[in-house]
Amino acid sequence: MNKDLNIYVLIKQVPDTRSKAGVNADGTIDRAKAGKMLNPFDAFAMQAAIDAKAMGGPNSKITAVTMGPPPAIAILYQALEHGIDKACILSDRKLAASDTLATAYALSMTLEYVQAKDGPADLVFCGLQTTDGDTAQVGPEICERMDLTQITYCEGFEIRDNLVHARKVIEGGAMEVEADLPALITIANSYNRLEHKTFRGAKFVQEVKRNEAIQKQFVEIIDLADCKAEDSRCGLPGSPTIVSATWKIGTVGGSCKMHQGKSVEELVGEVVNINQETIKEFAKA
Amino acid sequence: MATKTQDKIEQNTNKKQEPITYDLVLVGGSPSNLTMAHRLCELAKTKPEMHISVAILEKAEEFGAHIVSGAVVNKTIFDKAYPNHIADGMPIESICKESHFSILSENAKWDVPSVITRAALPDFVKDGYYVLTLSAVVEWMAETLVTKANEIPNITVDMFPGFAAHEAIIENDKVVGVRVGKTGDPIEDNVYASIIAFGDKGFLSKDIIKHFNLEGNPQLWSVGVKETWKLAEDTPCMKGKVYHSLGYPTLDGTLGGGFVYGLDHKRLTIGLVISLDSKNPNIHPQKQLQEYKKHPWLQKLLKGAELLNYGAAVLPEGGLASLPKQFQTNGSLLLGDALGLLDMKSLAGVDKALESGYLAAQTAFDALQARDFSAETLSTYQENLMHSPFMDKFKANKYFRKAFLDNPELLSEFSPKFLKGIELTQIPLIGGLVGPLVGALIVGLSNPIKAIMQTIDVGIKMNSPGDVKQEIVYKAGYKAINPNFSKELIKRNQGRQEFNKSTIYSREDAVFYAQTKYIEHPEHIDEFSSDTCLKCINKYDAVKLDVPCVSDCTAEVHRLDISSEGIKVHGMSLENCIQCRTCELICPEQNLRVNPAYAGAGPDFRGL
Ligand SMILES: Cc1cc2nc3c(=O)[nH]c(=O)nc-3n(C[C@H](O)[C@H](O)[C@H](O)COP(=O)(O)OP(=O)(O)OC[C@H]3O[C@@H](n4cnc5c(N)ncnc54)[C@H](O)[C@@H]3O)c2cc1C
Ligand code: SF4
Ligand code: SF4
Repeated sequence: MNKDLNIYVLIKQVPDTRSKAGVNADGTIDRAKAGKMLNPFDAFAMQAAIDAKAMGGPNSKITAVTMGPPPAIAILYQALEHGIDKACILSDRKLAASDTLATAYALSMTLEYVQAKDGPADLVFCGLQTTDGDTAQVGPEICERMDLTQITYCEGFEIRDNLVHARKVIEGGAMEVEADLPALITIANSYNRLEHKTFRGAKFVQEVKRNEAIQKQFVEIIDLADCKAEDSRCGLPGSPTIVSATWKIGTVGGSCKMHQGKSVEELVGEVVNINQETIKEFAKA
Repeated sequence: MATKTQDKIEQNTNKKQEPITYDLVLVGGSPSNLTMAHRLCELAKTKPEMHISVAILEKAEEFGAHIVSGAVVNKTIFDKAYPNHIADGMPIESICKESHFSILSENAKWDVPSVITRAALPDFVKDGYYVLTLSAVVEWMAETLVTKANEIPNITVDMFPGFAAHEAIIENDKVVGVRVGKTGDPIEDNVYASIIAFGDKGFLSKDIIKHFNLEGNPQLWSVGVKETWKLAEDTPCMKGKVYHSLGYPTLDGTLGGGFVYGLDHKRLTIGLVISLDSKNPNIHPQKQLQEYKKHPWLQKLLKGAELLNYGAAVLPEGGLASLPKQFQTNGSLLLGDALGLLDMKSLAGVDKALESGYLAAQTAFDALQARDFSAETLSTYQENLMHSPFMDKFKANKYFRKAFLDNPELLSEFSPKFLKGIELTQIPLIGGLVGPLVGALIVGLSNPIKAIMQTIDVGIKMNSPGDVKQEIVYKAGYKAINPNFSKELIKRNQGRQEFNKSTIYSREDAVFYAQTKYIEHPEHIDEFSSDTCLKCINKYDAVKLDVPCVSDCTAEVHRLDISSEGIKVHGMSLENCIQCRTCELICPEQNLRVNPAYAGAGPDFRGL
């Protein structure tokens, strides 16, 4: 029997890949214009946290943590809908333009803050990477700051005798590892897909949204001062990364042609013809 | 407050919990149920000391995403149920400024002169009606409901898109709840309520009707297939124009008709409604819609146009005679299409669906005050509904289906000849009817006396129901299917050869425009016995026809596979399913059941 596990899962709101985001004059994404979604990798991390809770003792609990502008609270609601117990968002204007170093610092301070209230972590789950940053650095950086055991690219795990037995994706295969708790695990997208939200969770979130007192209790909104983070280590001042330039790499897409509305024979004929033409063009070039 | 908050902490932990309960659970994010909830909000305001909790379950991922309709709707119901709908921004495509009833032959279209329509077919005069995209209206109903409920302290309305009711829970002759989950733990899977309202177009309401033995005449169903198109810039504006058509392409004797509605932003709705009590085992609804579009009239409109959406849904068309004996049971109410409130003659169901929700709210509100949820107490719903002016036409048109059932040759024999006649004369003579009649005489009717008698009988049953004192007896649609159905008649539906290929879509391609999405491996259709299918396949193979489920599926789901033993077996590509329930209704062996899918999976009909 495993002990009660205190689990944290770090999630992020990212621009919705299905919506058209604007691009600022300096080449960065106009985040305000873009639709928003839960970072798809974090959905796997959330499922991992839910699975871990089921492996722990009966009083195991999960807290979801995010950093972002106030509307990012939407993904915390999403977490609660999936049965996650509590949530906390670090929101502060001073965090704008944070790179991975500054983000990892701010998030580890947030984790310290929530741990002081809710107890030390046994497990921290992160998505492998985000779709808007694609660095895969934030998880490992937090892990170093918090001095936890680190498992990255995890696609499956079990907790037995209070040890994590995990399978990591490595080039050309998988690797089995065993680690002590507490551990930070980044979850690869070959992990189990996030299950549908629970009815009870969906019901609960509607109550949370309606009732400020309940909201305060389950969704905590904090700023840098609350978690005692130093302003100079956050946002632009705290980010040593320099983006020297960004540029448009040309138009993507536009050459896709739909073949439809005809018999299969006709369609195949058309596609075959196109391929032949393409091959000829290549040959000419 | 402190204790209330403490309760909530308990609720969102993994510990064994209290059952999930509401005062009311509404099954289906339907026009009827959403109207019921809106009305309950208004009623709640009148009794601030009373607290009401409501949950609305919708199987689609978003409200409106599984709704497909026409829809031309009488605006008076919105004035009643949503008095502020204009100020509150209800999406209205257009207001009908001209409505036509058109007769189509293979090559010609004859608009019945409006004097005749007004006199003989007043149900098809839709001037001043709203032309709506019902999925968008339902989305609007859901959004405004949340805002409204949040402003009323004594009502909570929880919205559950992505959660279907999968089973009704009946205890001691009372509907007490529904199952929404499949973990196997009833505490997590079931939702309980004092009253469950079914506005679910039959998915679970059919079980209620069966369990409580409420069925008199069986319900007759038809299937509606529909597409929306973006018209080319140079096509004349169609906004506000409404056409209902009879004739081409449904020429095999099946009752059916088309509709073409002009929407906002240069969009056009094109649809076909076909009765499923056809003798023809291979109706091919989606294919017939393509045949409809091959008509020169539509070909011209669709020149350079672009397909936006495709969808299908069934419609209950039995009318008054098919209504269940009771509209309520202990602990439950049936609303809208689930009850069968559609008037097929005027293709109008939305108004009565809304009215049923409006009236059900009052009954539920009274029952909650009295804390009495017996069928007897809830029967005020049935009484009020049957006395509603919105039911007048529905009652008056009660012989509509019988008229055609009693006079089958009218559609299978005489009408195709009339159509040929129209075609021959081309220009209808002044006075309207003369042209086609002359034409029909030229073509020659084999039995003009019978044709006239049948026409008169249909005319009487449709227009003077008071004079008809006849019992109405239906048999379920699947029982009408005839494996030896005339091949000649089937051929008639296969229509024209000249058409612009870019306006015609195969069924496989159509699925793309219904945007089906199934993440989990779908298992939502039960096939009860593979042996039954084998026998059925043999039967239809022998007469060289497709089995009905394969031909009549509106998406590309049912198929025949060759098994390892080399025999044909029934298979399903469920990831294509648009959940219309046609296959369940037409399977001659009643060997299928279409259940709602889990996790909001299915089509995305928004835009239809
Ligand atoms: C092609 C077509 C054209 C039509 N044209 C017109 C017209 O022009 N004018 C007119 O007035 N009427 C028209 N109708 C009829 C009209 O659309 C219906 O009468 C009306 O929509 C019925 O409303 P309802 O409230 O019964 O719910 P429905 O519209 O039947 O909606 C049922 C809802 O319940 C959901 N649901 C079902 N089962 C479950 C479950 N178990 N759990 C959770 N959710 C569930 C469905 O996803 C859906 O959202 C047309 C219908 C069709 C198909
Ligand atoms: S499902 Fe019904 S129609 Fe289809 S093969 Fe089986 S018995 Fe025949
Ligand atoms: S399989 Fe699905 S789409 Fe096909 S007829 Fe049945 S319910 Fe409709």
